[in-house]
Amino acid sequence: MTYGYTGKIARIHLTTKEISTIDTARYEEFGGGYGIGAAIFWDLAVAPGEWDLKDPYDPRHVLPIMTGPLAATGVPGAGRTSVCGISPETFPTCEFWRANFGGRFATMMKLAGWDGVVIEGRADKPVWINIINDQIKIEDAKELWGLDTWATQDRILSMVGGRTRYGEEWQRIGDAYSTGLPQIVCIGPVGEAKSRLAALIQGSGVSARIGGYGAVFGAKNLKAISVTGTGSVQLADPKSMMDARLWQMEHGGLVTGSFAPASAGSASCNPCLRADRRRNSYYGGETMCVDQFWLDNPEKQELGATLSARASAERDLASKALMRYGASGWATHFLGLFVSDIPGAPEFFNKKVPVETGIGWYIRYLYRIGELGPGKRIDSSPLPMDQWDSLGFRLAFLDAVSNRVGIGEDLAEGCLRAAEKWGRLEKDLESGALRFPAWGATGHWTLPSVEWAYNYLLGAGDPSWHGLVTAVGAPAEGESLENKLRELSRKTIPYTDDIFMFNYAWKGDEAWKTGIYSPHKAKEVAWSRHYASFWNESMAFCEMFLPTLETLTPEIEMKYYAAVTGKKDSFADTLRVGRKIWTLERSIRVMHGRSRKKEVFAPFMYKPGASGMTFWGGVPIYENGTWRSDEAPDMYLDRKGVEDFKTHYYALEGWDRENGWPTRKTLENFGLKKVADVMEKKGRLGA
Amino acid sequence: MAEGENSESRKNTVRRRDFLRGGGIALAAGTLGVGVSGVPAPASPQGERAQSYPESTGYIVYDSKLCWGCQSCMFVCSAAHYGVANPALSRIQIVRDAPSFTKYPLDIVMSVCRQCVTPLCVENCPTGAAHVDAENGNVRVIDPKQCIGCRRCIQSCPQRPHRPVWNPDTRKSTKCDLCIDAPYWSRKGGPGGEPACVTSCPSKALKLVSKAPSQEDIAGYDVDLTPAEPASKP
Repeated sequence: MTYGYTGKIARIHLTTKEISTIDTARYEEFGGGYGIGAAIFWDLAVAPGEWDLKDPYDPRHVLPIMTGPLAATGVPGAGRTSVCGISPETFPTCEFWRANFGGRFATMMKLAGWDGVVIEGRADKPVWINIINDQIKIEDAKELWGLDTWATQDRILSMVGGRTRYGEEWQRIGDAYSTGLPQIVCIGPVGEAKSRLAALIQGSGVSARIGGYGAVFGAKNLKAISVTGTGSVQLADPKSMMDARLWQMEHGGLVTGSFAPASAGSASCNPCLRADRRRNSYYGGETMCVDQFWLDNPEKQELGATLSARASAERDLASKALMRYGASGWATHFLGLFVSDIPGAPEFFNKKVPVETGIGWYIRYLYRIGELGPGKRIDSSPLPMDQWDSLGFRLAFLDAVSNRVGIGEDLAEGCLRAAEKWGRLEKDLESGALRFPAWGATGHWTLPSVEWAYNYLLGAGDPSWHGLVTAVGAPAEGESLENKLRELSRKTIPYTDDIFMFNYAWKGDEAWKTGIYSPHKAKEVAWSRHYASFWNESMAFCEMFLPTLETLTPEIEMKYYAAVTGKKDSFADTLRVGRKIWTLERSIRVMHGRSRKKEVFAPFMYKPGASGMTFWGGVPIYENGTWRSDEAPDMYLDRKGVEDFKTHYYALEGWDRENGWPTRKTLENFGLKKVADVMEKKGRLGA
Repeated sequence: MAEGENSESRKNTVRRRDFLRGGGIALAAGTLGVGVSGVPAPASPQGERAQSYPESTGYIVYDSKLCWGCQSCMFVCSAAHYGVANPALSRIQIVRDAPSFTKYPLDIVMSVCRQCVTPLCVENCPTGAAHVDAENGNVRVIDPKQCIGCRRCIQSCPQRPHRPVWNPDTRKSTKCDLCIDAPYWSRKGGPGGEPACVTSCPSKALKLVSKAPSQEDIAGYDVDLTPAEPASKP
């Protein structure tokens, strides 16, 4: 018996209406979640060679929506749903990328008996998919098309649920009964408009914000997927699973303090549901910070300031509108926090650089410099630019994008595509007014957390992975930074006992010798990808929950993994699978055109003002024979240094130096001979 | 109303009419109302078969404002009793208005077996499967060997959703036993013990108490379990 997995994946072709089944066992070697999703994408979209993988709206686009084997097992925080495919959001090209979301969709999918669903084709009219245990129907979505995400879910709930309101009574489903509601992932008007800003929304505010996959749903005429399940997931060792939970609680790993992710205790995953009565926030706490603060203007208020009742209500309404329209809080970001003074920051940032800026901030910048506005070269109609930081402006913004009205037509294509159309792309990427470090993704902790920046570059945008940022932060008072890093290095299997991989020295010889352009740094970046590929993206653990490198990693991961799956793998084995997944992901990108010369940061990253801020006491820097924690506000990158880093990194991963393409030896080492054969046929195999 | 607000006058036995006077909720909607031929109809609250029962010495109370809705309790309940993960088999049901369009604190409904002072599930069981377990602190339990799957206990439960749970695999009823018989749970359950749901709750929204809460409405069970604020914050 296979434990953890349900054993089957639904394959739903919207063009032919054919519904078939994939045996999960064929893909178990890729772990689960994103790993299996990428492998299925390879088999169905890449290997046949019938599609050039360029246009995410092509009906040949295959969209795997996957769960991990630890979902719906009682393991906390492991219930995320993974989506992968060609991303409409990335720029300048649509890259193979991924997103994931929390909530209970993955949990219910498993209870319905499915490890995931794979969406193919394009429906000739709007449809939604109704999954009730082993029954799958493609339903007419005529009456749902045009509804916002909440109304869509409400309507489906009433259709699936029948007369009795859920929560008041058990529902009969086949031979079983459940108090659980159907879990629905859907798009709103922004997705229907095939805007690259579209998210997938589940519940009130759980969303897949990265990648613009809501637009892929829109292109496929797919409004929603609803899942209801009443089945069981088999556990190899249920007693050990529950003992592991208690062990984690007793060792402080299930936190209950404020601002701690409640996913730590979730059998499903509610990623930003905060503890200590903070359920009383933001519609059940399902939205995350970037959505909750979508209306905020940190230029006007202090971090943590108490809002008036009216301001608080308006903030809530803005967040609610964002979710109902089905827009990504990341892709539509207005303005992040300003905290640190950054030497060399452009004047328009007034010395301080925000943690994030996005399309919302950018249009105001253009308005302030007189480029954009009513009757200007870039006509801002119908947006009331003089009311930029108001709730009304946010609503007008969403309305313009979802109806592609006026400037909304340009904005719907995403910030960099709009800037390109307006003739400002190169200039504003150079100045940093377009603060998008790579692949058109909104900036987020890229510097001085340089491993995060490299992950942007080697992937296709924001990795949204915090695994190392606290672990390399300043030590507790009285503790030695060097000792802390030495302890950390014992956990980064297989790259152990090399503390220089945590060296963020960025100036002078040390940067090349042991710092951010050295072979040591390549190990840190590789480890972060291998860990995240397996544990966060495939075992589907919330990345705010695990790893906990300063405490319970890797013991807690292995306890849960063994208890649920019964597999005898070592932690090193799991990281090898992570590397295999990362190598396959790389191969897919290579097949649609990725190469070394395309992996460059936006120009502002190579200039003073590129750095941002850290919350964790800075990054470790080794210079002149000593270690120190340094917030490195003056950090920026060197073009040759980044190229040298890429050379080291490609060598470490077994990719060729010239193009960054995986070699046959590397692929076959991971049992990916069939991938190597396809790549060779296409002339994309590393030399 | 705090769980300690137990009526001394109730002493150890309470008649069914006491429950009725307390304003118990009407019978469930009856989605499981398929009876078994030949089995007597369940005793109605107005019935004549007045009977008293020794009170349970264990009750689970909860704080619906503290609960995260994470369902940990549901998963460990099914794992503890059956060795599988299945919320539909859980004897505790946490219903979250899933899209969470309903705002706090009404977004979560906690359905916890009340170990009723006057257990209608026990009273209406035609075979004695649902009984008061005198060997284990008078907890109201269902003996699966005696259960014939007539669902009388489910029909009789005055709570919504009903607390006895139908197991479609065995075609028998089950109910919360405070983990007295939980073969996959490594700790001791029962009164004074560590039921899986209580011990595993990360938000500490469940608590095992020994005295019967007020039976009048949910206030005796849905109590304030907020941990004390630390004397000084770090």
